[in-house]
Amino acid sequence: MRDLCAAAVAAATAAGADYSDARVVLKREQLVAAKNGRVDRMTDAESEGIGVRVLVNGAWGFACDRRLTHEGAQNAAARACSFARAAAGRHSRALAPLEPRQGRHESAVERDPFAISLADKVELCLRADAALQAEDVVVRQVMVRARREHKVLLSSEGTEVEQILTECGAGMDCAAARDGIFQLRSYPSAHVGSSCQSGWEYVDGLRLVEEAPRVAEQAAALLHADPCPSGVTDLVLDGDQVALQVHESVGHPTELDRVYGTEASYAGTSFLKPNDLGSLTYGSEHMNITADPTTHGGLGSFAFDDEGVPATRTAVVEQGRLTGFLTSRETAARIGAGGGGSMRADGWNRMPLVRMTNLHIEPGDGTVDDLIAGVDDGVYMETNRSWSIDDKRLNFQFGTQIAWEIKRGKLGRMLRDATYTGITPEFWGSLDAVAGRESWQLYGLTNCGKGQPGQSAHVSHGAAPARFRSVQVGVRS
Amino acid sequence: MSALDVARAALEAAGGDAEAVAHSERSGLVRFAGSEVHQPTLIENVVVTLRVLHGNRAGVATTNKVGEDGLAELARRASAAAESAPPDESFPGLAPPAQPTEVEGYDAATAALGPDDQARLAAAAIDAAGDIPVYGFFTSAVSELAVASSTGLSVEQRMTDAGALVVAAAEGCSGYAEQTGWRAEDVDPAAVTRAASEKAARTHGAGTLEPGSYRAVLEPYAFADLLDYFSHDSLGALGLLERRGYLSDKLGERIADEKITIRDDPLDARGLPKAFDFEGTPKQPVLLVENGVARGVVWDRTTAARARDGAVTTGHAGPVESRDWGPLPYCLSVAPGDAESVDELAALVGEGIYVTRLHYLGVIDPREGIVTGMTRDGTFRIRRGKIAEPLVNLRFTVSVPGLLREVYGLTRTPSLVNSQNFYGDRYPYGVLAPAVAAARFTITGVGSKPGI
Repeated sequence: MRDLCAAAVAAATAAGADYSDARVVLKREQLVAAKNGRVDRMTDAESEGIGVRVLVNGAWGFACDRRLTHEGAQNAAARACSFARAAAGRHSRALAPLEPRQGRHESAVERDPFAISLADKVELCLRADAALQAEDVVVRQVMVRARREHKVLLSSEGTEVEQILTECGAGMDCAAARDGIFQLRSYPSAHVGSSCQSGWEYVDGLRLVEEAPRVAEQAAALLHADPCPSGVTDLVLDGDQVALQVHESVGHPTELDRVYGTEASYAGTSFLKPNDLGSLTYGSEHMNITADPTTHGGLGSFAFDDEGVPATRTAVVEQGRLTGFLTSRETAARIGAGGGGSMRADGWNRMPLVRMTNLHIEPGDGTVDDLIAGVDDGVYMETNRSWSIDDKRLNFQFGTQIAWEIKRGKLGRMLRDATYTGITPEFWGSLDAVAGRESWQLYGLTNCGKGQPGQSAHVSHGAAPARFRSVQVGVRS
Repeated sequence: MSALDVARAALEAAGGDAEAVAHSERSGLVRFAGSEVHQPTLIENVVVTLRVLHGNRAGVATTNKVGEDGLAELARRASAAAESAPPDESFPGLAPPAQPTEVEGYDAATAALGPDDQARLAAAAIDAAGDIPVYGFFTSAVSELAVASSTGLSVEQRMTDAGALVVAAAEGCSGYAEQTGWRAEDVDPAAVTRAASEKAARTHGAGTLEPGSYRAVLEPYAFADLLDYFSHDSLGALGLLERRGYLSDKLGERIADEKITIRDDPLDARGLPKAFDFEGTPKQPVLLVENGVARGVVWDRTTAARARDGAVTTGHAGPVESRDWGPLPYCLSVAPGDAESVDELAALVGEGIYVTRLHYLGVIDPREGIVTGMTRDGTFRIRRGKIAEPLVNLRFTVSVPGLLREVYGLTRTPSLVNSQNFYGDRYPYGVLAPAVAAARFTITGVGSKPGI
């Protein structure tokens, strides 16, 4: 792999590149899913290739080749250079300086998820699926997954790093229907469960079979619950929904490429401006957000990003004030601060983009019960069901799978079809408490989309339940 | 080596009962922002997915290593997966040999476009910009899909697609336009920029709007996006069988205005034609909504077998990575109306709002077809039958069938709206949609002004 990268970089230099980097990526992914008592999907996918990124006269070019041969590597480099010349703009891209690094990193894994037999994975899925059976349950679905990405990055500046990142995860969904009402419960998170950079011990720890009866019971109970009433009220969110709130309304708007408009044609821009750094009030004093690719087990954990920048913990919001952006070497040079460190590519055939790594809301004090105890009249919501946010990441509307009313500091009746809406800085300004470290955990998302052509990133968020005052809930058409 | 050659080689490596789906792509996408190129990407890949059967146990594996060793390893992994799978009594078996209808969808001139051409066409979009910077891309590709199986099935289709997408945007203004087709000659990047720029210029000074229900004109971009999201739960057989979709228990009932007829029409050369699905079954046009009455959904072999009521596949199995959704309509087509223009639709609306496109849709309640999202890049008031002053971006929350229950009119000429965002392997698809004027479009929140 190293020799192929070297051949690509040499070819790019010979073709006139001022800068080049080459990534060889070998990826394997396994998925087993059971649905209503039968194996619904069982896939084992591998993909390999080399991607070469070049700067020629200040213009980017990217090309790739699935062949892991010297011919393939040199071919990709030559095409990237000619594409950069053909698509040159009237600009000159500059990169923040980087001291070249050499290193090797591997995820900490106790039980290799690919050493767990497919038969064992099937059995786990079918057992959990069976445990989801309950009256009015119409769809039961359980899945387990694993991924390993082995990549080598080599640049014309002397960077040379090798990383092997292993992750796995699991999840279950249970749908109940009656009299035209359709309700869903998921565990441990919605949208293909939750994943972690870990061995199979993570999946074991989720205790899918043991959790399944509660999940099914809640799905069925939601059929008899009242719809969440509309109004402005106090809101307590579970950690899973707080994680998504952080992702959508803090993670994406602090991506500096979005701030500069380079995602305007697809994912959107940001309400933030470069000169907001250090001065903008993002939320209340209880809001502390950290980007941390060094987090143990995070899906966005690495030793080096896909530009070879060493992993570094960065404060993005401190006591409600914007203190950092997620950057690439190019955007860091443009703003004149930082050195990049958030560049990630979806495999060998995509160009790295500024992406979230692991973005956490730092814990406060107490438990979720303490948060609820501080609400006289409000709603507690759990587990995301729907999400939508505008192109500048200001106006959002989220729905959760389940909710309970809060009366005089206690949970009351169960509510269905709960939604809430807000404007990002106002909403975070209404944050008045985050639960403590013992309630804080990692939530791993595998469906973060961005870029043209599209790229999907795997991202973790550490989050704990949180309380917000005077939020608009219960929006319906 | 063609995709069919790869599929046949994988089938040979498997030896026994098996199905191989090969999918190749050669594409270039020149992305620009602020009227400058910033992500020029060339992709070449071929991926083969092998499904091996051991009786009624199936195992699936995928690779892009299509040499002899790679395919042998693929066959070993697929076989191991089949060995690990329990018997599936509901497995419908592999598709029989078939002779799909010949379709359009391949253009040699588009296939011949190389990186220099793609860069030139992107430059045409950039150079057509005036004072307002442009953000978007030009892309073109040639892709091949082939399915071969031990039943003797052997089908292949070559497809081309090209597209230009432009957001013209500056502080306080933005506009959008897009063209997609299987012939690059049908895509005029400069015209796309001019349309987006003209729209953007009209959005300066956007005002706000009180939430509430409004009459509305939706451009094809907005209408297509709503239908695409609605279709995932409600126009495929899996949503029907799982009682998750809006059409569950409503087939044969009136669900929309009689002006609304929706098909999936894979053979229509005005769209992005498809000859067969990812199981190799020839695609059939399917009537989904006829004059407002729910008529059907699209099927694949798995859902048809599960229905146990005589349902048959309509040729709508998707790629493996999309199978969670079941069969989907990849060639939605809405019957046009008789309005000559969106201005005529605005006249029908009288007082209301005008929506160019939508952003970040989310399904709140699939059973009721309720979707939320934001308007973007060209939202206007309609006053006294004319498109009037610009509005800020608006949050909407609508039931799609509710929106279509009272329709004032549709434009005569539909537009092909691209629905793929080029994730994973290239499979061009889109919606053929006119603009629509409807009685109820519910605004539930107010967002920021347009633009960067």
